Amino acid sequence: MSTRVREPVLFLVIGVLIASLMVFVVYPSIQVFLYPSGTDFIKILMNPRYQRSILNSLYIVVLSTLSATFLGFIYAYAITRTDIPFRKFFKGISLLPLFSPPFMVAFSYIMLFGKNGLITSKLLGLQVNIFGWHGLWFAQTVAFLPVASLVMEGVLQSIPPSLEYAGRNLGASGFTLFRTITFPLARPGVAGAALLVAIQVLADFGNPIMISGDFSVVATEAWMRVEGWADIAGAAVLSLLLLVPSFLIFLFQRYWVSRRSYVTITGKITQIDIQKTGTWIRWVLFLICFSLSLLIILVYLALFMGAFVEGWGFNWTPTLRYVQEILSRSPELTNSLLFSIFAGAGSAVFSITAAYIVSRKRFFGRRFIDFTCILPAALPGIFLGLGYSISYTKPPFDLYGTAAIVVLALMFWNIAMGYQTGIGVFQQISPSLSEAASNLGAGSLRIFREIEIPLIKGPFFSAFIVSFIRAITTLSVVVFIVTQKNVVTTFSIMNLVSDGFYGKAAALTCTLLIIAFGLLGITKLVLGKNVVLFKV
Amino acid sequence: METIHLRIQDVCKSFGNLRVLNHVSLDVPQGSFTTFLGPSGCGKTTLLRTIAGFYTPDSGEIYLGNRFMNTVPSHLRNAIMVFQDYALFPHMTIEENITYGLRIRKMPKDQIQARLERTVGYLGIGNLLDRMPGQISGGQQQRVALARALIMEPELLLLDEPLSNLDAKLRINIRAELRQLQQRLKITTIYVTHDQAEALALSDRIAVMNEGKIVHYGTPQELYYHPADPFVASFIGKVNLIRGRVTQHTLEGTWVDVQNITLLVKNHFTYLQPQAEVILCVRPETVRIVRASGDREENAIPGYVTNFIFEGATIRYWVNALDQEWVVDVFDPAEVLPPDTKVFLRLKPERIHLLPGGSQK
Repeated sequence: MSTRVREPVLFLVIGVLIASLMVFVVYPSIQVFLYPSGTDFIKILMNPRYQRSILNSLYIVVLSTLSATFLGFIYAYAITRTDIPFRKFFKGISLLPLFSPPFMVAFSYIMLFGKNGLITSKLLGLQVNIFGWHGLWFAQTVAFLPVASLVMEGVLQSIPPSLEYAGRNLGASGFTLFRTITFPLARPGVAGAALLVAIQVLADFGNPIMISGDFSVVATEAWMRVEGWADIAGAAVLSLLLLVPSFLIFLFQRYWVSRRSYVTITGKITQIDIQKTGTWIRWVLFLICFSLSLLIILVYLALFMGAFVEGWGFNWTPTLRYVQEILSRSPELTNSLLFSIFAGAGSAVFSITAAYIVSRKRFFGRRFIDFTCILPAALPGIFLGLGYSISYTKPPFDLYGTAAIVVLALMFWNIAMGYQTGIGVFQQISPSLSEAASNLGAGSLRIFREIEIPLIKGPFFSAFIVSFIRAITTLSVVVFIVTQKNVVTTFSIMNLVSDGFYGKAAALTCTLLIIAFGLLGITKLVLGKNVVLFKV
Repeated sequence: METIHLRIQDVCKSFGNLRVLNHVSLDVPQGSFTTFLGPSGCGKTTLLRTIAGFYTPDSGEIYLGNRFMNTVPSHLRNAIMVFQDYALFPHMTIEENITYGLRIRKMPKDQIQARLERTVGYLGIGNLLDRMPGQISGGQQQRVALARALIMEPELLLLDEPLSNLDAKLRINIRAELRQLQQRLKITTIYVTHDQAEALALSDRIAVMNEGKIVHYGTPQELYYHPADPFVASFIGKVNLIRGRVTQHTLEGTWVDVQNITLLVKNHFTYLQPQAEVILCVRPETVRIVRASGDREENAIPGYVTNFIFEGATIRYWVNALDQEWVVDVFDPAEVLPPDTKVFLRLKPERIHLLPGGSQK
């Protein structure tokens, strides 16, 4: 109440934040719950086809999570804790997929290891069918390995070095040290990483739609339901099946695992001399990292090659046809670019404002903002996309086929990343900085210009970049809301791949990659080390 | 005759461009308590960690007994360290923490149990064994960390500022306990601290370090009364440093001229040539302060009181004499001399230490 009187602008901003979150996050989510009737639930759940897809989803989540987490841990351990050669290179390679479309791995592996695959068929002369659970497992393992590895690196680095020193000092070395000290200390973090990967695997739409063949999973079935039968209620039931576990994992991860962590901050951080790793372990680790990074590099190589080959798999004549086609006419690219710029900017403004207010002010509704800003991270893209499709394609909010519906969906789907980065930064910056400035005689405008703006700049740009890249590369959020009029690139790519037009699909994917990495490069160049990307 | 247990020979270590250890050499006698003392950044912790094997020296050699240690990996050296932050394993109980090293050595269970009981007995922590490190107090953690090291019956016990995280009272108690335990067990111990009072109280020998070098290595008394240079003199205790010039050596001792006042030093500093610039080191408690009445006395300097603090057992005076500020401690003070009182500072001839002056400050 006093806020309203003393700081009317703040009060207004808080009102706008809460209203937007209600309308664009909570409302569409609730719509998905309300849309299907009880019989719809029973119909779907009793149908053997969907029972199978539920089992399939469970099965692939367990498999892909285990393999990605396991390999990710080895990868992270090798690049942070050992002296294998090319650690920096391996680290760099593992970051690339974070800025690339998630379905890219599946698409590329079809070109490499499929029936007409470059490696399997052309080089090795094998007849392999990559479509199915094994192809999906393979693609998802490589696709989610980078996230797992990145989280695990953080976990390993947060173990106080003196504990490992103490272990060594008391006679443990090599594997004994790892078994008794390093791993037990990392275990809670590893569990957290596994859950994070599990959420993403469960919600993954791009990889299964391209590579899983007859092996149907819940995410793809939800889309088929709409695409094939125009049965939105059925799709809603299926997407709720995705939401519930991922929401539970999200709550569990946020409120339980994070509290159980052993990580403590001890005053003195000392330089670590990395001990010599045993020779054969060193080579085994090197070989693992080498193979994994090769698998990642191959993804990009194949896409790049694919863009310049006449007919992948049967006619290897080089061509510039697809590149010219894209350059001459591609409404989907223009759309993607525009939508993502608006969504990225909107998301950055919204999430940084929210983060700033939540970390600096005390007010009624603060916890609601905090929770709802992170919530989208737990919403599978399919679920949110469907929510928008249900909520905003009929009066009173008829945005069917407009740019607005895509921009809004992409914007609010991405606020969690920027918000968390912002909170992290603002928590490190003491509010007493502004107080100190005020104490030294600076007026509030001056404080804002000289103290707050420079502090906000870093998190703002990282929020923009991350949101932009996620927006331009996502497929799952947009599949339910794009039409002929507001089609985006990832959607076109999906259709081109399923129709077998690999050349143009590859060329479009490469263009997305060039845009994403180009923007990343420019930002790094302009802002230097101020940008924190993918804080996990 | 004492035997050398640890020998450090001409060790250098750099991190990047920063040279942290600069030709360090040191012999540590068997069973002694040796302290590395110095300001932060002097290289004392690096030297300790190099002995533990966490860092490899860039050059120079380390011998333990007669064994060449440079090539022995840290987990095979029985040089056990107590860390400043204790480094107790948060995922193990206190018992598991203490017995960790013995379990790594695969010692039979009954022997581990016997050693555990004995060690825990020394330190009085038998009731904590089932707890987790997060559930016990700082002082208790400190004892557990010590127990974890002692149970190994280490050849060398390394202590890295182990008392710095405790409050002042506890620190003094544990300090005394530590010294008693070390003397009973006769473990060669190396202790790192920046606290000179701690170093004086605990050590058989102190190595004062500054900028990666050992500037003085000796007993606490040697360091206190005969410091090797002004840095050591002012780092350990309080000291008055006065510039002067040697005039002559006689049977009585060395005579020094300070601004036309002649002082006798009853130690023979014959290596200092007559006319050599010197610095006199005078400890505050070795100076007697008397009201100036009548003639100038022997070995006395006129001055006047500028300030004083009453500390109970002592009064500390600040006295202006010879154009500089002196600190003088008077024990069992009978009367208080107020500021501006004219006084003589009487210096005990046998308590003045001389350092070569010249280029040094």
